Amino acid sequence: MSASTGNPGEVARQLIAALWERSVPLICERLEELDRASNDAVHGSLSPAARASAAETAHKLAGSLGMFGYPRGTELARDLEQVLEAKGAIDAITLCQLVASLRASLPL
Amino acid sequence: MRRILIIDDEDDIREVAALSLESVAGWQVLTAASGADGIRTAQAERPDAILMDVMMPAMDGPTTFREMQRSPDIAHIPVLLLTAKVQGVDQRRFAGLGVAGVLFKPFDPLTLAEQMANALGWRDDG
Repeated sequence: MSASTGNPGEVARQLIAALWERSVPLICERLEELDRASNDAVHGSLSPAARASAAETAHKLAGSLGMFGYPRGTELARDLEQVLEAKGAIDAITLCQLVASLRASLPL
Repeated sequence: MRRILIIDDEDDIREVAALSLESVAGWQVLTAASGADGIRTAQAERPDAILMDVMMPAMDGPTTFREMQRSPDIAHIPVLLLTAKVQGVDQRRFAGLGVAGVLFKPFDPLTLAEQMANALGWRDDG
């Protein structure tokens, strides 16, 4: 990875943009897990373990997307985490909408 | 030059934080991908400060911090916890552990060093 010479902030921006490109496959994997969880929720087959795993994945996305310059992605991932961690039956419709919005908010 | 140890199980967070502190602040950065590895690295390298994730598998941030406090050779090193939890109850719980501060994910890579310096009272840093 290399960055052209310049002020430290610009160098950091270039390096972070390069790291984003490298992180895209992992981000896509995480979105796919959330897709599967929302599909399972719609069909009433989302297991507690899969729900907990999806909540953890949403948490990870919330913690990283804003760092790469996608604050809307962090907001949506936080909303997803809350829906997945809520007690009782899951709100499958909201879950699906949030996953779709999250995907649409990212340049993938 | 400041030497910082970053402990986080997520590669992308570790890498962005490291390059942020290196390129923006000019600090030297050490990294570890787990609490146990972080303790070993802290004991071997004695960094000036530690930036550590809260949620990690096996040994989470608070547990790792408590382990560090039991080790006289590294107990004095200030620890900043890094968390994506935004609820007040979580923030108070982390602050009550006795850490030097709590920073939040997602952090801004361009101001992370400044946030750390402020939290640590390093007046001569950005």
